[in-house]
Amino acid sequence: MLMNISYNWLRELTGARLTAGELRERLTTAGLEVEAVHEAGDDFVLEIAVSSNRPDLLSHLGVAREVCTLAGGEVRWPEMRAAREEGRTESFTSVEVEAADLCPRFTARVVRGVRIAPSPAWLVARLQAIGQRPINNVADITNYVMLELGQPLHAFDLEKLNERRLVIRRARAGERLTTLDGVERELDAEMLVIADAARAVAIAGVMGGAETEISGATEDVLIEAAHFAPASVRRTSRALGLQTEASDRFERGIDYEGQLRAQARAAALITELAGGTATTDAIDVYPQPLTPPLVPLRFARVRELTSLDVPPEDSIRILGALGIELAGANGAGRSAADAGGQGAASEATFVSPSWRADIRIEEDLVEEVGRHFGYDKVSDTLPAANVAGEYGAHEGRRREARRALNACGFDEALTYSFIDTAHDEQFELLPGLVRRAGESSLVTLNNPIIEGAARMRPTLLAALLESARHNFNHGTRDVRLFELGRVFAAGVEAGDQPRETEACALVATGVATEEGHAGASRELDFYDLKGALEAALAAMNVSSVEFAATSARHLREGQAAQILLAGNAAGVLGRLADDVAAVYKFKQPIYVAEVDFTSLLAAGETSVRYAPLARFPGVVRDASLVADRRVTFAEMRRAVLELNLEQVRRVTLVYVYEGERVPEGQRSMTLRIEYRADDRTLRDQEVDELHGRIVNTLEEKFGAQLKR
Amino acid sequence: MSSEVREQPQIEAVREAFEQEFGRFARFRGAEASAGVDALKSSEAETLLREVGDLRTRHTGKKSALANLKKMIGRVAPEERAAFGQQAQQLEAAIIESLEEVESLIGNHVARLRVERELLDVTLPGRRPRRGHQHPITLVRQRIEDIFVAMGYTVEDGPEIETDFYNFDALNIPRAHPARSPQDTFYTSEGFALRSQTSTVQIHAMQRRKPPLRVIAPGKVFRRDTPDATHNPMFFQLEGLLVDRGITMGHLKGTVTEFLRRLYGPQTRTRFRPSYFPFTEPSAEFDFSCFKCNGAGCRLCKGSGWIELGGSGMVHPNVLRAVDIDPQEFSGFAFGFGIDRMCMLNFGLDDIRLLFENDVRFLEQFN
Ligand SMILES: [Zn+2]
Repeated sequence: MLMNISYNWLRELTGARLTAGELRERLTTAGLEVEAVHEAGDDFVLEIAVSSNRPDLLSHLGVAREVCTLAGGEVRWPEMRAAREEGRTESFTSVEVEAADLCPRFTARVVRGVRIAPSPAWLVARLQAIGQRPINNVADITNYVMLELGQPLHAFDLEKLNERRLVIRRARAGERLTTLDGVERELDAEMLVIADAARAVAIAGVMGGAETEISGATEDVLIEAAHFAPASVRRTSRALGLQTEASDRFERGIDYEGQLRAQARAAALITELAGGTATTDAIDVYPQPLTPPLVPLRFARVRELTSLDVPPEDSIRILGALGIELAGANGAGRSAADAGGQGAASEATFVSPSWRADIRIEEDLVEEVGRHFGYDKVSDTLPAANVAGEYGAHEGRRREARRALNACGFDEALTYSFIDTAHDEQFELLPGLVRRAGESSLVTLNNPIIEGAARMRPTLLAALLESARHNFNHGTRDVRLFELGRVFAAGVEAGDQPRETEACALVATGVATEEGHAGASRELDFYDLKGALEAALAAMNVSSVEFAATSARHLREGQAAQILLAGNAAGVLGRLADDVAAVYKFKQPIYVAEVDFTSLLAAGETSVRYAPLARFPGVVRDASLVADRRVTFAEMRRAVLELNLEQVRRVTLVYVYEGERVPEGQRSMTLRIEYRADDRTLRDQEVDELHGRIVNTLEEKFGAQLKR
Repeated sequence: MSSEVREQPQIEAVREAFEQEFGRFARFRGAEASAGVDALKSSEAETLLREVGDLRTRHTGKKSALANLKKMIGRVAPEERAAFGQQAQQLEAAIIESLEEVESLIGNHVARLRVERELLDVTLPGRRPRRGHQHPITLVRQRIEDIFVAMGYTVEDGPEIETDFYNFDALNIPRAHPARSPQDTFYTSEGFALRSQTSTVQIHAMQRRKPPLRVIAPGKVFRRDTPDATHNPMFFQLEGLLVDRGITMGHLKGTVTEFLRRLYGPQTRTRFRPSYFPFTEPSAEFDFSCFKCNGAGCRLCKGSGWIELGGSGMVHPNVLRAVDIDPQEFSGFAFGFGIDRMCMLNFGLDDIRLLFENDVRFLEQFN
């Protein structure tokens, strides 16, 4: 959270003679990140980014303590005495805290006979410099005191409070209140309100009500300063969607001892600037006073954790300047007073200040000492090397797969892990991701940030196709992308942590191109996609992969293959079905693949076994066979291999032809068969005979005809 | 000159027969020869070359008149034999010389024209299929992993969808910390959180291994930021963790400096600024001297000479306790930074959304 700090104000509180630029430098070095400094009239404004553990810095006082610690000197308290005082507060009002669990402390003080008017010029200027809008003198003073001391205050028109008294209680369910911003709000029974005898008049710690606010006619003012439970204020603020300067501070935690001081400061300013007479005291409902925790520090621990050699007296000085007082010292039987001395105590106890809830353990003190002693004094040291490094499991295989896909022309893509619910049911998911038949296995976000993107992706394809679309829209129609990333499915049992599987998806469309050349070398097709996948599998040295015809929801019938890994389904590839392509408005063929990469990584590797080189020459024979086009290469090849002929060493594809001179519905496939014997050169006659048997088998089995 | 022989007419007949046929090549001899050849087109020259070859076969081959003449030598009267032989040889030498001269002249011309015809434009692009490119985040991540593995770190990862325990509780993030709110962190309908920092892997790593340990965890993290030029709701982070006896902030700073020196060069310096993270105490953000201007100030470092990179600190004792490590015996440091941010810096990206748009024109630039 950003806090605007006025340079002039800070100087009044500290007397420090540093320039705004110097302050910026020193504060940043001490851990108060000054994001910007800008001029505002005769003043400078320092914008400080305040971390959530330091709500005390949401005030000039808090920053002043840091300045005094780094520049020396002590905080100079502003005027705390009212110009005129008379009568006790209880003579004019009363306070009843019903919900003490949400309101550990409540104080009230009254100033009677004020004259509401615009604030004097210096006050207006100061508020405006740090970005606050002036309203009237009393309202501005409550604001000013909050910015000065960090304690939010609220001023009520005493006259407008029913029975002139306050009750701090939970709201009644459905109770309504119109807040200062003019919005009527419905409250729930968990919200803490400040009420009068009849109704809620403020939402505690968040915003006051419009009906009881200070107006030009106000004469008697009731100033409230309280300590509200942070969690309660946070909940109320969220539930109402109402975040204010007050709620920001209460949520993060305020100085639990700061209420009376803020009352005194407000009374002093009101009586000075708006006239009137303050009561002599404040009503203070504080049933269970909080005691500050004690925190031990072994002085050697500073060095053990930071490597900084800080003498104990410096540690004590730094902590003291921050308001972290020494409570006692021990070790070597010394007294607290000696703790700072030469050869002093080895450890001491400190009091955690009421405004520093972040000081609870020894390490917290070490940090305070370290940051003010100076992190710039920490030197670079390398820990002694004692272990060997190690890549993540399968990193080598991952890198090989990426490189292989790159070599096939595929660019690596990265897409968001959440996708639009519109993609539900579009794709056939990886086999492992389906929970149980009929049961959704999708993982859903309650609070997506991109509209509609509420699904943790069960497939990479949806977003990868969106990326292809993006490229089309920008004039690139030849696109080959792949992505490696996790896909998600609900846990096996309801309430189980979602399952995460690594997937690899490919998208290919357009034409193949050559590096440095414009224009196409040819259209991409199914076999380019399959080839890329095969290249990746080969690079990963994955053994026992097979492809088989299949059908899949998102793939065109007849152009879809299943990838089998040791016989188990591990994904599908093929041409994107027309209905899915239409969703993305694709007009050109798109080929897609998605495989279970986790399974691929876990799959066994092919081990290399040397085969002796042939001593006798082999003979190669081709056979061109015309057969029904549904007869697959794999079937033909298997039929040859199943003959178990010792001399048949290899069956490979030469080419496939369809078209002229081949009847419709048929195709010609040319196989190359390599014959060889280990102990002699095969005679032509032998090879003729073997080749003839093979051709006969293929003719009989598949109704194929040998082309001569 | 040799004396007259009786067979003189036969010798003269052979000479005349040759000279008559050779006459059309005569222009390729003498002073005008090279001009005559240079005027030839390559097809003409090739034809002529072939014709000269034919001429050679016909006039010097085994069945040629010249060969017959030489066979006559034995039959010539003994007193004239020497003179006849000499004259026949002179004739042969003259014919061969004429042929060779023309042959080589035209032959060279043909060769020259062939070289001319087959001249290549060596600046045309070589023949190779278009290569794909690795994503810039992958490039940077692999480089970082290589450095840390060499420094003795083990690369670890954990789930991207986490329980509150790993994402918050074990990291000492207070119940009321704004990071836990659904404003900042994504939650699934079953109440799991998308991990908002890779620090979660610290916890997994410390549960899996006992100290001393050195771990880095690069990975995806998620925060509910609306995408703009400098924010994405998903980005990549790297978390580093070292736990051992006697570890100090000096070791933390030394390690971060060493890593950045290996990445950006030996002149790199680092500095700490005190900061707050729930899972470290003390905590510090670290900056490094700008690799472009080496600290002098430039546009990349907005004139400061320093580049802010990430957060770090000494592992909070509560975090160590959450995984049963005694903070009195062991101490450790942790640091983290954005890989996306490093990509932006290294490659000079001006819009972080480019990283997930997968525009081929963008991806093609990385190698
Ligand atoms: Zn620079």
